[in-house]
Amino acid sequence: MSSLGGKKKSRRPQKLLEKSSKEMLSDYVTGVVWSSDGKTLAASSAAGEVILWQGNNSISILQEPIESSIDCLSFSHDGKYLAAGGQNGQVKIWYLPTKELVTTLENAPAWVDQLAWSCSCHQLAFSLGRSVQVWDLDTQAVVTTLNFEASSVFSLAWHPIAAYLAIAGYQGVKIWCGEDWHDDPYLLSIPSASQAIAWSPDGKYLACGNLDQTLAVVEWGNPHPWVMRGFPGKVRSLAWSNLKTVLGAPLLAAASTQSAIVWEKQWQEADGWEAWELEGHTETVTAIAFSPDRFLLASASEDGRVCLWDSAEELVQILSGADDGFSCLAWQPQGQFLAAGGQNGELLIWAKSIAGQGFG
Amino acid sequence: MSVVCRVGNAHDHPNSNTIIFIQQRGYMTTKYQTNLLPVTVITGYLGAGKTTLLNRILTLEDGKKVAVIVNEFGEVGIDNQLVINAEEEIFEMNNGCICCTVRGDLIRIIGNLMKRRNKFDHLVIETTGLADPAPVIQTFFVDEDLQSKLALDAVVTVVDAKHIWQHWSADEAQEQIAFADVILLNKTDLVVTAELDELEKRIKGINAMAKIYRTHLSQQEIEMNALLGVQAFDLNRALEIDPEFLNENAHEHDETVGSVALVESGALDGEKLNAWIGDLLRNQGQDIFRMKGILNIAGEDFRFVFQGVHMLFDGKPDRPWHSGETRKNELVFIGRNLNETQLKEDFRQCLV
Repeated sequence: MSSLGGKKKSRRPQKLLEKSSKEMLSDYVTGVVWSSDGKTLAASSAAGEVILWQGNNSISILQEPIESSIDCLSFSHDGKYLAAGGQNGQVKIWYLPTKELVTTLENAPAWVDQLAWSCSCHQLAFSLGRSVQVWDLDTQAVVTTLNFEASSVFSLAWHPIAAYLAIAGYQGVKIWCGEDWHDDPYLLSIPSASQAIAWSPDGKYLACGNLDQTLAVVEWGNPHPWVMRGFPGKVRSLAWSNLKTVLGAPLLAAASTQSAIVWEKQWQEADGWEAWELEGHTETVTAIAFSPDRFLLASASEDGRVCLWDSAEELVQILSGADDGFSCLAWQPQGQFLAAGGQNGELLIWAKSIAGQGFG
Repeated sequence: MSVVCRVGNAHDHPNSNTIIFIQQRGYMTTKYQTNLLPVTVITGYLGAGKTTLLNRILTLEDGKKVAVIVNEFGEVGIDNQLVINAEEEIFEMNNGCICCTVRGDLIRIIGNLMKRRNKFDHLVIETTGLADPAPVIQTFFVDEDLQSKLALDAVVTVVDAKHIWQHWSADEAQEQIAFADVILLNKTDLVVTAELDELEKRIKGINAMAKIYRTHLSQQEIEMNALLGVQAFDLNRALEIDPEFLNENAHEHDETVGSVALVESGALDGEKLNAWIGDLLRNQGQDIFRMKGILNIAGEDFRFVFQGVHMLFDGKPDRPWHSGETRKNELVFIGRNLNETQLKEDFRQCLV
């Protein structure tokens, strides 16, 4: 910890963020995502709404409530397209500059509850039961269908740089290479099921959170993963810091029951990773995310609070606004805004509390 | 629901010697208790009448919003957007340890459904004819989210009174009866009364705790109160055993799956009891399908109630013993190849 926090100071609670906007969707907010340029926030709800927020007083409704949940959202890498999937089996794609719906893929009766655009091209991966389909917007055709096989897909994640796609479920993670989809996937074997996966921003590490209260971390190319134990419950969500510590690796945060646990890779290979627990929430932590420009961690909880942890260690601010609990959160990629969704449809946006901040 | 303690087998679960004293931590917040979503599990062979029952529930419960998860394509005749078809996905979470075997499809689907908690009042899960009920039940005890947000209400098993004999010796048939809280003897019009009496007697030999109803689902209305809101897994209603069964001294066990009741007066030594149950569940948990009981522990003013499924054990102090009430211990085990004499003897060793 010494490398991060520096000398311990007794700090008073700070006001890093202040409320900028509050909107209401008609049900549980299932996702919030920012476009890469930070100018557009998309949010979805369990009632099936999809909306865009582009600054105060600028809300666009892409989809009204349809009484069928939208469960996943993703912006294409260039910010031009937004894809959404849900329980009616549809994958819808909107073209952002005109806000027009350009594609609807029908997959009923399957639910589409996981979906993500490639980080470098217009390929969209989405879950279909035990498989993941990769679909190309430019050719309007299915590129491949990857059979995860062991169970329905719990989570999927594209590598941030290379053409790898990681898919998690029962018995672990399978990682396919997009240069040859027919090649057998790399298998990270877990003796239970993995439900959360995240690549580090530099693509060097893959973390996977498991139902058996463990966290596994693979250094890409190294056949021996680390396995972290001692979590109080299942490891339900993960976040990597954008920055690296002086010890050379990004921080990894993992949410489990009422805590976020932060892991820091040690300098010596043999020392592995050290962890500390962030205690402050009184109910399940549902989402965590690092601010892109510093080691500031935000954690959202069913207790109705979003906590900000400076240096991923010290609780410096508590945000509220969703009394029955927060469900999701996301930092704007430029670090100027934090958005969080609530279980009753609340959509809150906070801005950095320094005068004169605008978009970007 | 209070704390669930995983007892486990010898290969794992290190904290296996703290069963009874887990009661000290038996708590749940009010928020959860008042808002638990009740879950009914329907089992039974293909053709026994599960789908007919489901359609009855959906019709008769029209004031309530019922979400249904079905594992096989049946004719659910009611147009209900909350009928979800899911393929059974068995997750062995701990090297095949039986108490850690859960249903991954239910964890995923119910997790999604609970985002719209206010949209329904009851969840019904229909399993396939060949499904093992244990992983379904265990999912609601093992998964932390399901445990805190839902309450298993009852396992309802539909039995085809005429055709059950064709499957009588099959493991699935016996286990579906053994796990049940409510058994519907269906198609009673197709068999004579004497045959029904015999069937009921043999079912009671397997499962002495279940409530048995004779019915003919495609003609009669079934009383929904008998099926929904049973609270069979609620420790506050832990033990409702047929007194006749408790009072009989010897039971005919012609099946490998059967019920054993232990009734003893006197107080129990908490530590001995703890060690005994720990050993029992480690060594025979795989063969113990359900268990329930009320215990009189020495030095305690409260009754201790418990229930279990395989190696999962759930227990807590219940209400104080009334003055003048005879303090006694009543336990029922339902399982395969249970040795009644041995169980009785070992239990008596735990008395003070």
